[in-house]
Amino acid sequence: MTPTANAILLVGHPNVGKSVLFHRLTGAYVNVSNYPGTTVEVTQASARFDRTAVLLDTPGVLALPSRSDDERATVRALLNEDSRCLVQVGDAKNLRRTLTLTALLAELGVPMVLALNMHDEAAARGVTVDIAALAQGLGIPVLATVATSGEGIGELTQSLGHASRPHALLRYDPAIEAGIGHVAEAIERHAPHPQLAARGLAILYLGGDAEVAAWLQERAGEKFAEIAALREAGRAAAGGRLSPLLARERSEAAEALAASVIQRAARSSPLLSQRIGQYVVHPVWGIPILLGVLYLVYEFVGVFGAGTLVGLLEKDLFEGILNPAVSDFVNAAVDLPWLAELLVGPYGLWTMGMTYALALILPIVTTFFLAFGVLEDSGYLPRLSVIANRLFAVIGLNGRAVLPMILGLGCVTMATLTTRILHSPRERMITIFLLALAIPCSAQLGVVLGMLGSISFSAVLIWTLAMVGVLLLAGFLAARLIPGRRIPLVTELPPMRLPILGNVLKKTGGRLKWYLVEVIPLFLLGTFIMYALDRLGALPAIIEAGEPLVSGWLGLPKEASAAFVMGFLRRDFGATGLFAMAHSLSPIQAVVGMITITLFIPCFASLMMMVKEQGVKTAAAMVALIVPFAFFIGGLFNIVLRALWMPT
Amino acid sequence: MSPKPANVHARLPLAFIPPGSVVRLAALGDEIDPLQREQLLAYGLAGNHTLTVLQQQPMTVILAEEVELALEREVARHIWVEREARAAG
Repeated sequence: MTPTANAILLVGHPNVGKSVLFHRLTGAYVNVSNYPGTTVEVTQASARFDRTAVLLDTPGVLALPSRSDDERATVRALLNEDSRCLVQVGDAKNLRRTLTLTALLAELGVPMVLALNMHDEAAARGVTVDIAALAQGLGIPVLATVATSGEGIGELTQSLGHASRPHALLRYDPAIEAGIGHVAEAIERHAPHPQLAARGLAILYLGGDAEVAAWLQERAGEKFAEIAALREAGRAAAGGRLSPLLARERSEAAEALAASVIQRAARSSPLLSQRIGQYVVHPVWGIPILLGVLYLVYEFVGVFGAGTLVGLLEKDLFEGILNPAVSDFVNAAVDLPWLAELLVGPYGLWTMGMTYALALILPIVTTFFLAFGVLEDSGYLPRLSVIANRLFAVIGLNGRAVLPMILGLGCVTMATLTTRILHSPRERMITIFLLALAIPCSAQLGVVLGMLGSISFSAVLIWTLAMVGVLLLAGFLAARLIPGRRIPLVTELPPMRLPILGNVLKKTGGRLKWYLVEVIPLFLLGTFIMYALDRLGALPAIIEAGEPLVSGWLGLPKEASAAFVMGFLRRDFGATGLFAMAHSLSPIQAVVGMITITLFIPCFASLMMMVKEQGVKTAAAMVALIVPFAFFIGGLFNIVLRALWMPT
Repeated sequence: MSPKPANVHARLPLAFIPPGSVVRLAALGDEIDPLQREQLLAYGLAGNHTLTVLQQQPMTVILAEEVELALEREVARHIWVEREARAAG
């Protein structure tokens, strides 16, 4: 990793507004959300106020020493970047928690500034912080900010020039101090850090920070054994509970300082936002509110996006105006028939690739991301994890997994990346497997609902029950087969807030850009492969080869094999291929086709993401399970539906 | 971990405290996974702080300082608290 020179690191707890502040200070887009764990990697951009400085937005840390992926990424940034200063972003209404982290960061000996963000929310709760006294106590500039409105940002940028090394908040228990001293001395001798104080590294290392341990091992080489032996001695002296002792002493020191600078006004009743937040997770009202939210999302994405907008774009604009015009132009201007066919033929880059990408998929994905943005900005999503927790317990997960699952309904590839917010490798593996198997992305969902909705409600219902059934069954089995135990849910419920339109639009814009950059090349590649297969005469061969499975077992027309080939490139692309054959499919064939293609292997992009997150072996094992399983379930439905179903 | 207040009350698991109660944190049981214990400590469940129980179903929801936390019953039943007083409402 190459260090970023002159870096200013934003560090803080999850959901304290780091990413919004980063946006204010850089103008760069970051995926900002009102739920913990959105920033899964360190993001960097030039500072607006000083083009020579680079700002780094680190993932939220619940506590240090690091335990989660997010915390490890933050410690890596601290270890590897050439930091000019740290900006700790804290929550003004949770000063004790903020200062517990400050107590550790202060030991690193890097110049710091503390931005006490969301001080408007603190004031609304009757919490007032004596900023001047706190700044004096810490020995660093402390600023009250409201990142969402920009309040205090000017003062913050000015204060960066005055960043200074904080006073230590505490001296640990003498026996612990002795241990810290010995380890720090050894670090200073064998693995000195160019910027971070050996004492801070010693505290992190004694607390069991794996990133610091790895860094020390690399730096100290064979002398690392000496440092490790000193740690063991320190741990033994503390009765093996050194990490909690260190954490408790920091927490007590933070509490003492917080108590001396904070004033609380008595409040007679909870705020409206708190009341709404409580209704949303209420055992009785939570469910109707959830159903109401789902209905509104369906109306916006399913009816308005997939119905009205797709109708306007696909039928009226593309089929009615653009495609005939482009076809006429290409046929008149291009003399080579193969080239004209490549551009505007049945598998044409424009008539198939771009039409699918822009007319069919883009409106659905756009409306989905807008709806998702509103939900995440409002603070509803962590509460949804509380409502969904029990259901997720059945499949060996906890309610936290609801976030990637819901995001998967937008884009499975993006959701696979977001599984990093889950705490254990086991949870991540189960969630990625279920996303790949049974969660249709919004593009595919739009096609499925469009196709089956035009047949009958019972067709949609059968497909939905099949997906939910497979999800529960596969999750139930995976939870029992994958070793490890389920982690009970403990989650913070950030305040409910009225979504800010600018934030929602920025988020949607960023996600759409990501999606289009990823999707359009794949659509064009997929179309090109289809064209090439068609021109080379391989498509008929594939159709013939797949016939026993596709026609015999699934009961579909043999041409549907082509849809499965397309489905590998993009899952929705395959569904769209079946959609194009809709006129020649019976209701049972349509349902069976859609069930199979939804369960079928994820698209090429999400497969790549699976490999990135889980490694080649695990990803290959997942695919090896998913493909036969999809055909098995599809065939099973073919047999059962043919025996039972009387289409209405 | 559990300094005793002047007026000692019986310790009860947080999961059994009715909504609306204000309780004082007494101890985190050893049954809680060490990593989750650190997580709880980081959320501010330390010392003998007061917590307000907001609800118990579908999960235990508490207000610790100004942080609203949702805890699964499996965790809440190993968090020991002492009854303080009844909150208004």
